[in-house]
Amino acid sequence: MRSIVEFIGVTRAYGTRLALDDVNLALEPGELAFLVGPSGAGKTTLLKLINREIRPTQGEVWVDGIPAHSLKASRVAGIRRRVGVVFQDYKLLPRLTAMENVALALQVSDLRVSDEEASDRALDALEAVGLGDRGSAFPHQLSGGQQQRVAVARAVVAQPPLLIADEPTGNLDIETSWEMMDLFADIAAFGTAVLIATHNVEIVRRLQRRVLTLVQGRLVRDQPAGRTGRLTWLASS
Amino acid sequence: MVQVVGTNIFRYIFRGAARNWMRNMGSTAPALGSMTLLLFLSGVIGLSGLALYNLEQVEAGQASVIHIYIRDSAASSDVDALWDRLAQDRRVASVGLTTKAEALKRAQRIPGLPQLADASESNPFPASLDVQVKNINDVAAIDASVRNDIAVDPAYPTSYDQGAYQRVQAVLFGLAVAGLAFLALLGFVAVTVTVNSIRAAIHSRRDEVSIMQLVGAPRWMVRGPFVVEGAITGGIAGAVAGAVTFALAVTGIAAGSSSFAQFAPGITATVAALAAAIVFGAGLSLGSGSSLVSLRRHLES
Repeated sequence: MRSIVEFIGVTRAYGTRLALDDVNLALEPGELAFLVGPSGAGKTTLLKLINREIRPTQGEVWVDGIPAHSLKASRVAGIRRRVGVVFQDYKLLPRLTAMENVALALQVSDLRVSDEEASDRALDALEAVGLGDRGSAFPHQLSGGQQQRVAVARAVVAQPPLLIADEPTGNLDIETSWEMMDLFADIAAFGTAVLIATHNVEIVRRLQRRVLTLVQGRLVRDQPAGRTGRLTWLASS
Repeated sequence: MVQVVGTNIFRYIFRGAARNWMRNMGSTAPALGSMTLLLFLSGVIGLSGLALYNLEQVEAGQASVIHIYIRDSAASSDVDALWDRLAQDRRVASVGLTTKAEALKRAQRIPGLPQLADASESNPFPASLDVQVKNINDVAAIDASVRNDIAVDPAYPTSYDQGAYQRVQAVLFGLAVAGLAFLALLGFVAVTVTVNSIRAAIHSRRDEVSIMQLVGAPRWMVRGPFVVEGAITGGIAGAVAGAVTFALAVTGIAAGSSSFAQFAPGITATVAALAAAIVFGAGLSLGSGSSLVSLRRHLES
């Protein structure tokens, strides 16, 4: 089975500072993995490399068979359509309703999608995240947890093979965070690979999924799912 | 399918751009103002340049005509001999004769000269051979070849004024250079202001832009609305400047058609309309071009 994401000897430097140092990893379809590590460990850099927001200084990044490391700027949209992204601060357009935010992601990535189809699919995605009745609400009319659900609906509405989330529970209370994690697990169960960068130790420990630990840019531990390991980075953070 | 794609492109590129343009009108106003001023001055300078070019052509035509003044006591055989010599000269296009009576009649049409003519008991204006020279550069040689002829007035042999045409040319060249330099300066200011206004628009919508990029919008879809916004600014500036240029020219033509035609030859309503259309096109190009420059500088892919 082909990996959805593959890093081969990836190094990324910002000036003289190494944000990632010789990272090798692979993520399979339907896999849910956590990316953990102290602040500045390189988690966001790794996610940005997957989404081709930046390019590696060295090494190869493959996303769904596409070489992100050598992709021209004009072809970046091709990768972005294969990667759903969820942020800590949701990044919803405040002028659009929840449904319009979700539909926008569909239509800008595929102009052949009609308004009717976009609305139907956006509504389906919102129902899947438990917000079927809030489609006409604007972001400021929704709670933090609801906004994050809209962001998840937007990320998965085009059914990408990969979902990446950067601190998705950072602004949420613990109960809502658990709901979000259930949602991510459901998404992974349908075959989408999910990679979540988080500081939330409690969630990582209890879910017992694969855990990738970054410390100072190096992948120091790759703990398989079902094992409760020591979160080594806690000692250094 | 085509209709759906067309509707989506219209919505995300054109309608989005128009909506954002309306929303950012405050920050766009300086660019709109400077671009309108630039385009208006471009139109006026362009029409002036055309008029000057036509004037230069008229001057060149006049400078290539040399009047050879005949002495009053010249024998007609000497005048005929000179006429034949000139007519056979390959550098000469044509030769005509202006008699003393015709010279007087012509002088009486020139302001100030009738009084001078009346003050004299006899006709003071000499007869002349009017020679049209093919190449303006040969006028000096023709002058040199005739001024000592026996039929020619030794006191005031010809109308040739060495360097007169060159002086006109130098003045026109200076005006053209000054006009172009002025336009270049204004163009730089207009482009800079427009680039900055688009930069401000990009900055104010950076979240929207980054979201569009993150959800997989192709580059042209992210950049398109900004280019259309620039084109709207340039188009409005061009339309206003073109209309004012056209109105000014037509008003000038209507106000004093004879004198206007003298100092601005070749400027007609059709030419003014063409100039207005060019100004409008230049506005569209300037606006969208400035946006592209700004996008290349300030928008990451």
